[in-house]
Amino acid sequence: MQVSVENSGPLERRMTVEVPAERLDQEVENRLKSMARTARIAGFRPGKVPFKVVRQRYGRQVQMEVASELMNSSFQEALNQEGLRPAGGPRIEPGEIEPGRNLEFTAVFEVYPEFSLAPLEDIEIEKPVTEISDADIDAMLDKLRRQRATWEPVERGAEQGDQVVVDFKGTLDGEPFEGGEGSDMTVELGSGRMIAGFEEGLVGLSPGDEKQLDLTFPEDYHSEALAGKAVKFDVKVKQVSASKLPGIDEDFAASLGVTEGGIEALREEVRKNMERELENARKAVLKDRAFEALIEKNPIEVPAALVEEEVDRLAQDMQNQLGQNQNLNLPRELFQDKARRRVLLGLLIGEVVKANNIQVDQDRMRTLVENIAAGYEDPEEVLKWYYGNQEAMASVQTLVLEEQVMDWILDQAKITEKPYTFEELIELRQAANS
Amino acid sequence: MSQERLMKVLLAPLVSEKTARLADTSRQYAFKVLPDASKPEIRQAVEKLFEVKVTNVQVSRVKGKAKRFGQTLGRRSDWKKAYVTLAEGQDIDFMGAE
Repeated sequence: MQVSVENSGPLERRMTVEVPAERLDQEVENRLKSMARTARIAGFRPGKVPFKVVRQRYGRQVQMEVASELMNSSFQEALNQEGLRPAGGPRIEPGEIEPGRNLEFTAVFEVYPEFSLAPLEDIEIEKPVTEISDADIDAMLDKLRRQRATWEPVERGAEQGDQVVVDFKGTLDGEPFEGGEGSDMTVELGSGRMIAGFEEGLVGLSPGDEKQLDLTFPEDYHSEALAGKAVKFDVKVKQVSASKLPGIDEDFAASLGVTEGGIEALREEVRKNMERELENARKAVLKDRAFEALIEKNPIEVPAALVEEEVDRLAQDMQNQLGQNQNLNLPRELFQDKARRRVLLGLLIGEVVKANNIQVDQDRMRTLVENIAAGYEDPEEVLKWYYGNQEAMASVQTLVLEEQVMDWILDQAKITEKPYTFEELIELRQAANS
Repeated sequence: MSQERLMKVLLAPLVSEKTARLADTSRQYAFKVLPDASKPEIRQAVEKLFEVKVTNVQVSRVKGKAKRFGQTLGRRSDWKKAYVTLAEGQDIDFMGAE
């Protein structure tokens, strides 16, 4: 077998392989012989077909088959011989395939870039440092309270932010119009869901009050018959409710699942959750920065084939997320940059792992799985699921490996600390992931 | 004999264990031909279509088989079979031509 390789690009290689004819013909002969024993051809009993006839009928086809198989296997062989690692599949240009002639083909493919990691000593990474203060917890509790606000009827004039239940009847030039009537409608003042002036007109009304509103539909109203028209609304207020935030007490704690220990326990729980989130965010931000630095220091060429593959994968993910039913035909350019970055990062991380002989740390894996599980209601179940699921474990392993690489980078780099508030860090994290 | 007629004389090659053996041992190739084709016509048709030299033509009339479908008796048409012997060193490749 003869192999010659030429470089047709920074990463592209053209490899011409020549396989001796005997190897091809021998294999074809064998195939045909085994075929002759079972071939069914009209006019012949099975197994009685002369070899010559079998060759006449199937020779060409078998030749092609064997040739393509041989191309695959000899391609692998040639790669081993030359010590090349292809990235992505090769494009094979076959030569003439004829009995008695040497099988020749050219494979064009890309190779993984050979590079050595640039030293990382002079990079600087900012490490976010955050403490959760009592104020942060108060803010979080406040947010929770607002999510659990209840409406309570009050006997007073409606104010902005109140909920008002009304009956209304609209007339256009004295005539009622379609959709202009409603009873027991709930209107939240200040929500802006009604046409301009409607909500404002309700301010100050108490339950039982009636009022006539002179309003004008906006020009861009969806119903053409009404757009821009002046109408009168007879409104009757039936109920005014003010939003009531739950007090921070034991009931509130219980409604959030903390049944024992009251407010103190709730605060503790909230703090724990926030700390977990903080830790995740801190890690994500740090990781993003470390990898960013790694990429910056190692501007290497990336095989286009791998990027294309990654683009396909990203597009597929996106498609799955947005709904499988429509074929969205997402433009590939959308993912180009992200795919490139991911491939590049993958290569670099692979190199770091190899160069430093990093092994997956089993202890860290266990800790990570336990951490993931802790976020669920039933950690035991989650743990069991993870340990019984190869795929899930594999993804955890990747994560751990990434973390170890991150640690390695951080070991090398100069680290400066910079304080952030909880909110800032969470925001930073969202920016980092995109 | 017109060209047109020659093109119509040969109906189909016959390929079977028997004809394969004949081709191997004595360079004889079998055809289904028009029932009224003559030996000289067959010779010329084969020489023309396959570009070979024919040394001998033997023909036989084959009776159509009687076939029964339920109670109805049917009969397949009679046909003519020709064995064409080629000059030494020549052959016809039916399979490849198909």
